[in-house]
Amino acid sequence: MPAGPNRREVLAAGGAALGWFLIGGSRVWATPADAASAGFSPQVLGKEQVQALASIGEALVPGATQAGLAAFVDNQLEAGSESKLMAKYVGVPVEQQTDFYRLSLDAVGLALQKNTADEVLAAMAADAVPGWNGPPASYVMFLLRADALDVVYGTQAGFAQLGIPYSAHILPEANW
Amino acid sequence: MTTPAPDTIIVGAGAAGLTLAARLAEAGEQVLVLEVGPQRSVKDMISSQIWARQLKWSGPPVEESGTHPVGHAFNAGAGTGGSAAHHYGVWLRLHPGDFSVASDHGKSLDWPISYRDVQPYYDRVQEQVGISGDSEAEIWRPPGSPYPMPPLPVFSQARVLARGFAATGRRTAPLPLAINSVPRHGRAACQYDGWCDAGCPIGALANPLVTSLPRALAAGVTIMHEAQALRILRDPNKPNRVTGVEYHHQGVPRQLMAQRVIVAAFTVQSTRLLLNSASEDRPAPGNQHDQLGRYLTTHPAGTVFGLFEQETLPHQGVSGGQLLCHDDYKDKASPGGFGSSQWMIANAIKPNDLLGYGTSRADISGKQLRPWLMKAARHLANMTLVTEDLSLPDNRITLSDSRDPAGMPLAHTHHDIADVSAQRWQQRIDEGLDIFRAAGATDVWHGPRVAMHIMGGTVMGRDDTLSVTDSFGRVHDTDNLYVSGPSLFPSSGAVNPTFTLTALAERQADHMLGLALAAAATPSPGDDPTL
Repeated sequence: MPAGPNRREVLAAGGAALGWFLIGGSRVWATPADAASAGFSPQVLGKEQVQALASIGEALVPGATQAGLAAFVDNQLEAGSESKLMAKYVGVPVEQQTDFYRLSLDAVGLALQKNTADEVLAAMAADAVPGWNGPPASYVMFLLRADALDVVYGTQAGFAQLGIPYSAHILPEANW
Repeated sequence: MTTPAPDTIIVGAGAAGLTLAARLAEAGEQVLVLEVGPQRSVKDMISSQIWARQLKWSGPPVEESGTHPVGHAFNAGAGTGGSAAHHYGVWLRLHPGDFSVASDHGKSLDWPISYRDVQPYYDRVQEQVGISGDSEAEIWRPPGSPYPMPPLPVFSQARVLARGFAATGRRTAPLPLAINSVPRHGRAACQYDGWCDAGCPIGALANPLVTSLPRALAAGVTIMHEAQALRILRDPNKPNRVTGVEYHHQGVPRQLMAQRVIVAAFTVQSTRLLLNSASEDRPAPGNQHDQLGRYLTTHPAGTVFGLFEQETLPHQGVSGGQLLCHDDYKDKASPGGFGSSQWMIANAIKPNDLLGYGTSRADISGKQLRPWLMKAARHLANMTLVTEDLSLPDNRITLSDSRDPAGMPLAHTHHDIADVSAQRWQQRIDEGLDIFRAAGATDVWHGPRVAMHIMGGTVMGRDDTLSVTDSFGRVHDTDNLYVSGPSLFPSSGAVNPTFTLTALAERQADHMLGLALAAAATPSPGDDPTL
């Protein structure tokens, strides 16, 4: 993987860069939001899994699609042991994260074929999705919601949307 | 390249390991520290709850089972500073009664030492590191020197919640914190922006990167990062001695000899290393009587939340909280369960992450979410409950049949919560909800019961058939092998452990250096020995 820009360059650009995404056949240093809007090519998740994640994430936390939830999750899964997904400390070791997300999103995708996103969420909350074949649905919902909260509200832009100061001691080099 | 043999090898560059490294090196010893995680400095402490996760445990996974798993991945850390790199700086003393739970109540274990043995080391560490607090207002505080810094300021969230405590007949005091309220010893004062969980790059919070690490490096300590200790090497001719450590570094197993070995790799990994040091003909060090790994404890904890009409501005302050209530600490046997408990009141809180307010309400999503978050961002309050765990022999760290890439068996932790501990937790949570209502909350809820801090596994004791080490952390059947850190705690109490483990490390250093142990001052007439 090519070396990323240094801290000075990132901050000079507004502190908005996140990671290397495959866009149009080239690795591009971009935010998840920019990667998503530019049609990034996922490196870990399949396209149907990305679609399921975007759909259910938007229903959980409006704004998640535009913030690049799918690009964020795919990028973190690609990071392997360096993943910073919250799943890391609620019982999904980094070695198992990829399988966890693939299985979960396959199950979400199947459920979305027959129901609206809101109907799927209601069933997931009750662990009552017909034909669900994956990790416990309510647990998956909790983690996907947490990921969506990360990309939408765990950032300087997210804090600004809530009207609270970010007040970083050291600004993140990425937009989170 | 050959690494010269040091006098002492320390496994783990956390609060305990670096405290001992600094002390021994300042006394002239050659000290080498093996740290499994990466090298870190305060420049890595990026203000982001997402980036904060880089400070958490990233080594081989720990298998967990039981009715109340210990949450290793959340509680542990890796890299320079260890778990203390992300700790919140709540530095409270154990109470005298925490040292004699078995004698007083017929439950848990006694410590082989009393509060008065540790008191002078609490005082010493407090002066060295610096604690902000109000020792007079903290009416439950065990005997000791006054805090060297005034308390941190109280913001609106704490003022709102204090009303609820007063209305229900409870008392509060400023939370004692190892965070500078004023510039001290070259370290800056806190800015109250609530980024403690991500590490404190300005050095106001006393994580080892700004306390013991500079001392250790100045005294010539060598720290080898990304070096995983695999087993303790036993002397084939002297069963009561060890000779060094086998470790894995840069993809290659290596051996290093030393006169003394100190295992300070936090509770689970310290125990794992000792267990993996058994051979076909010899049990693991300290395990002659099958005690190694037993009495694993964790604080059953939880958070109470509420929304208020008035502004609380919960982003202000520090992660550990602003006020303390120990009204329910002293009487462990009071009706409703068993064990001490404490409230850490008005924690600074962010919208995202496991402890964030957004995550606390999984039932709110879709169009309802943003208006709710905007209200919470200015009107939410929260406080954290910490309760005592019982030390039970079957709560235990063992080795798994699975192995990590270096070939070392993974650790498995089994932890069940005792009924009386679970009852105490629920009782206090229910009381917490009442306190919020009394403070005027319009909506109250609480989070799940979680595991905070991990202790035990290599417990100290007088009887070598019922413990692993003596009161200095020296493994019973060996002369030159020590353990340091919270794995030594025979019982958990209900206070955050970093202050106590640092004080114990200071006491261990005096012992290893052959110095006279510090003695507590003669009790004054006002001291209550039953506190």
